[in-house]
Amino acid sequence: MTDRTGGRAGSGAAPRVRSFGYVNWRGVWTLYHREVKRFLKVFTQTIAAPVVTTLLFYTIFSVALENRVGTVGAVPFVVFLAPGLIMMTILQNSFANTSSSIMVSKVQGNIVDVLMPPISPLEMMCAYIAGGVTRGMIVATASTTAMFFLVDLPFENPAAIAFFALSASVMLALLGMIGGIWADKFDHMAAITNFVIVPLSFLSGTFYSIERLPEAWQYFAQFNPFFYAIDGFRSGFIGQSDAGFWVGAAVMLGIDLVLFLIVHRMLVTGYKLKS
Amino acid sequence: MPPRNHIILGGRPVARRFGIVNYRGLATMYAREMLRGFKIWGITLAAPTVRALLFASVFGLAIDRPDAMMGGVPFIDFLLPGLVAVAALERSFQSSAFSIVYDKNEGIFPDLAMLPLTPGEIVFGYAAASVSASLIVGAVVWAALLLVGGAVPVAPLTLIFFVVIGSLMIGLFSQITGLWARKWDYLESVQTFIFMPFVFLSGVFFSIDELSATAQPFARANPVFYIVDGIRFAITGRADANPWVGAGVCIAVIVVLWVIVYRLFAAGYRMKS
Repeated sequence: MTDRTGGRAGSGAAPRVRSFGYVNWRGVWTLYHREVKRFLKVFTQTIAAPVVTTLLFYTIFSVALENRVGTVGAVPFVVFLAPGLIMMTILQNSFANTSSSIMVSKVQGNIVDVLMPPISPLEMMCAYIAGGVTRGMIVATASTTAMFFLVDLPFENPAAIAFFALSASVMLALLGMIGGIWADKFDHMAAITNFVIVPLSFLSGTFYSIERLPEAWQYFAQFNPFFYAIDGFRSGFIGQSDAGFWVGAAVMLGIDLVLFLIVHRMLVTGYKLKS
Repeated sequence: MPPRNHIILGGRPVARRFGIVNYRGLATMYAREMLRGFKIWGITLAAPTVRALLFASVFGLAIDRPDAMMGGVPFIDFLLPGLVAVAALERSFQSSAFSIVYDKNEGIFPDLAMLPLTPGEIVFGYAAASVSASLIVGAVVWAALLLVGGAVPVAPLTLIFFVVIGSLMIGLFSQITGLWARKWDYLESVQTFIFMPFVFLSGVFFSIDELSATAQPFARANPVFYIVDGIRFAITGRADANPWVGAGVCIAVIVVLWVIVYRLFAAGYRMKS
């Protein structure tokens, strides 16, 4: 039997390293638990606020454009709009969760409390990602429920909805970790949010079909990963897609994998975290 | 001439005298507020400009008919003045409240009570900074929107007038929010659950004629509506309501808010404990 007590001074025997098996489940669970409690404690900011903002956006776009746009593809404008707004809030909240967590820890100096415990970089990032995904999913569920009272939303393909919600949430949780690790100050974080995340999510086809763009811009839009997230997620509801399900799924998995490797590398080398 | 120094060498110390208004104190406070706001210009100036351009782009792209109208003018002409208004009012809301809550967190807010500034001067200092910041942000956003089809205002002085009373009204509200807020959370809650709905539903993005008959009275009871409508009137020459009635409503609201803020500062609400 392994010694689960770890080395205690004065126990007579030489201190030994505590062993965990292959995965430090308790460590991962503890970090995940902290990540979730972090945002639930201020749920008015982290859950209620995004839902209210999403509904506000829905209201202004539907009142302003419902009679001026008509249909997008085969569906009414509001049915086209609603899934895009839900995805936008998933993207922004998953990003906000991991980035703010790491940023605040760095500024307050308690990031060492995450780096010192016996959890591997892989375990650590899984806990952070799961925290970001949890927030994304809670906000998404709340927004979708609220949308039900406003729009007659179809559910063509629930599997696609779930897949794109999760893969997009993972993508942004990973981007949030990169941002949080890279940024030295809150100003840097605000710059990433204002000048990268918000523009990419606005211009990703939430409010219009990508075909509406001029030719040259359509080409660039294809390189915006948020476009695939929103397009795939929406196709789960309305059954029509600009990019195609399999293309979208492949892009999402590919990006998640690349970002995963980048963040893993950052944590292993201690980039900007260990000096 | 009385000595300018507050300690007469070799004599007893006497209180420094300022005349009726402590101009230097006021100017110092104003300069601090302005520097504090625009030191982080990426957040306070560039970000709202980018956001306004984004809103203009997505509305422009979403509308598939170039002849789409709103309230009797082409949609984009209707929208852009609204975006200028949002940017100006947001800056005004964030200026004083942000500053006050920051000082509270640092524990230096009560220092304000020790300065030789009267409550009226403090209110004026914060308000002047709010209004100036809004004018700057409004001008920059307006200039940026020229790139996407913005118009030269038909009545520039009217435009300045409406931005000034709008930002003064919101700036005073911001001071109340800042005084009330104990933490950032409070401030963010007011912004998300009160300020944003009032501004977004005030007719920035749509003419309130588009709203249902039941929603109309609520929209017209929103003072921000008169600001946005007035700013649009000054730029495009069209308005949902009579802009001068709107100005009257706003000035009345400003007087009430000013009295409230003055009383709060004079009483040391959440400042002197």
